[in-house]
Amino acid sequence: MKIKSKKKISYMLCFVLLFTNMILTTGCGSSDSDDEIVLRISNWEEYIDEGDWDEEETIELENGTVICSETGIIEDFENWFYETYGKKVRVEYSTFGTNEELYNQLSMGDTYDLVCPSEYMIMKMMAEDMLVPFSEDFYDPTIENNYYAKGVSPYIKGVFDNLSINDEPISKYAAGYMWGTLGIVYNPEYVTEEEAAHWDMLLMDKFDKRVTIKDSVRDAYFAGNSIYNKELLLSEEFMNAEDYYAQMEIILNATDKETIDAVEDILSDIKKNVYSFETDSGKADMVSGKVVANQQWSGDAVYTLDQAEEEGVMLCYSAPEEATNLWFDGWCMLKDGIDGDPDKQLAAEAFVNFVSKPENAIRNMWYIGYTSVISGGEDESILQYAEFLYSAEDEEEETVEYPIAYFFTGSDEAELTEEEIAMYTITTTPDQTNRQLFAQYPPEDVMKRSVVMAYFDKEGNERINQMWLNVRCFDLYEYLP
Amino acid sequence: MKSNNLRKQLAIPYAIFLIFFVVLPLLVVIYYGFTNGDGEPSFDNFIRFFKNGKTIGTLVYSIAIAVLTTFFCLLLAYPVALIIAKGAYDKHTKFLMIFVLPMWINFTLRVTALKEILTFIEGNLAYHQFFNTILCMVYDFLPFMIMPIYNSLTKLDNGLIEAASDLGANKIQVFFKVILPLSIPGIVSGITMVFLPSMTNYVVLDMIYNSTYIMGSLIGSYFSAYDWHNGSVISIILLMIILGVTVISNKFTESDSKTQMAR
Repeated sequence: MKIKSKKKISYMLCFVLLFTNMILTTGCGSSDSDDEIVLRISNWEEYIDEGDWDEEETIELENGTVICSETGIIEDFENWFYETYGKKVRVEYSTFGTNEELYNQLSMGDTYDLVCPSEYMIMKMMAEDMLVPFSEDFYDPTIENNYYAKGVSPYIKGVFDNLSINDEPISKYAAGYMWGTLGIVYNPEYVTEEEAAHWDMLLMDKFDKRVTIKDSVRDAYFAGNSIYNKELLLSEEFMNAEDYYAQMEIILNATDKETIDAVEDILSDIKKNVYSFETDSGKADMVSGKVVANQQWSGDAVYTLDQAEEEGVMLCYSAPEEATNLWFDGWCMLKDGIDGDPDKQLAAEAFVNFVSKPENAIRNMWYIGYTSVISGGEDESILQYAEFLYSAEDEEEETVEYPIAYFFTGSDEAELTEEEIAMYTITTTPDQTNRQLFAQYPPEDVMKRSVVMAYFDKEGNERINQMWLNVRCFDLYEYLP
Repeated sequence: MKSNNLRKQLAIPYAIFLIFFVVLPLLVVIYYGFTNGDGEPSFDNFIRFFKNGKTIGTLVYSIAIAVLTTFFCLLLAYPVALIIAKGAYDKHTKFLMIFVLPMWINFTLRVTALKEILTFIEGNLAYHQFFNTILCMVYDFLPFMIMPIYNSLTKLDNGLIEAASDLGANKIQVFFKVILPLSIPGIVSGITMVFLPSMTNYVVLDMIYNSTYIMGSLIGSYFSAYDWHNGSVISIILLMIILGVTVISNKFTESDSKTQMAR
């Protein structure tokens, strides 16, 4: 008898423990919902201005804007939202390391209101009906606080409008944040500009164990596919064809067996040639000189070039001639998180607008090195920021004109008047045409060969993942007779 | 009776932990391993693993790394453990500390340090990937081999060694006929502590730029591609290897305890 009762007590203890646990956790959740909006944001690691700048870092623009961030974007947003909308908002900010990590978190039941995945993941989430469309008001540029609608680059807006899933443009569900190209950071002491202009430099014996590639199946596949189709992509007939861009998009998004098998062979050869498949170490290895070239996203390239400069090393960036991958990250609202709550949606849209405010876009760009999708609209701060960074000093003898009108106007240079082009032209030193400025605002001809890599269908995705495993697994046959 | 009950209740926290973090996840892994994408029971994932030469290659590669790591750990650890436990040093705990101290530092930090040293010596790490992997693994797991062997050697009765020498055995005979057989339980638990973790410790490979997958990286890459089924299959295969190794090592320790009983 005694034993039994003791057992009961212990069971009861268990339950009591469990229950108190539940009450505690649910209790926390409910107490803050009355007057305060909680906005749960998940963004890439180190992908937003966190403040705490040195005074020396102060940015002064021609139009009088002075930027020196002390408190960081998140805190400033909370204050701005209260001042503007009269409601309190508390941001719960968390980060993820890869798109897949974010997707796995979401499928395991984590809920966020606003997330910032890359283009293909936005498409996947759209296809799986996980996203809430932005409200119609959000796109109205006449509303004062709609900094995104007012400021987004017409060029990027065009890209967003042209990409669609189930006949809906992704611009309906996503607002851009940062964008860029995929290219090669190289050390001009060892690698010529001509060599770095082609993806197959990753295969050259000359650079045996002195190049790195991204440890990411999509980036590696893009490089491999460009090498596989090099001759076609560079042939004059192909480049002058009327449907050049559409054809290039098809080729670089191909997931048929023949292409994948060929790319598998190319990547297996690359694996033997590279120093490492890296996720983050490539930047430091470039600066320290362990490697002479690495595949890199343009934003990280800017960071690497800056770091190297501080160490007295000159590095360059190239967007290979075959093709480059135009990528972007965008803000999306999740159905599970917003859950029909208008206050939440208001706060989420306000956050997107807040980070799109030109001076905040500049703060983020300065802090993380990537390029914001914001061109500023009527506000000239963004253009002046580019000039602040890259304009040649007056005493500089040799200068070049670097037009980036496409980004600010959304039109080809051929369609613009000379005055318009001149307005968006930066006078810079010759070296910047393949360094930071080139990485941050690539010229129009690079954009003409830049392709968005869409999200692959289920079968294609499986084939590509299997291909990646085959590349990375140990090849027993090579050692067997 | 009373103390017995108390003892049972003390086990409750651990039992709860066990259920939530060991048993339930295990069931989930088994469920995913034996179902396909549509949730239907199937063995396809297993068949796919054993039919693909590349994944088998990685299994072989992982086992090769594990065997070599264990072998070199044993080779290095045994003499050290013997010297500390049975040598002329009366303050052997201090010497033990020197070898166990590295265990207190996180292994990623240790490997980072080793990487810099190796870069200095070799110039380019990528030319010696396999060697570097084994070296870092041995460096990482050495304390796990020293400890159990040291423990079994300190428990060894010095009287037995003296008796063997009195009866005419020379030093080599004493070692092979008395010390080594009696330290087998330590060796076995050392092997289990090194062999299995080194099959899955892919962080070391990542850190020293070995771009070939081992079993651990394979699981990780399946899971990050949302392929829970194939990831679970690999986990189950590893579990079976663990089971096999434990059964074999239990045989060793059992036969050993029998000899001790007979004594």
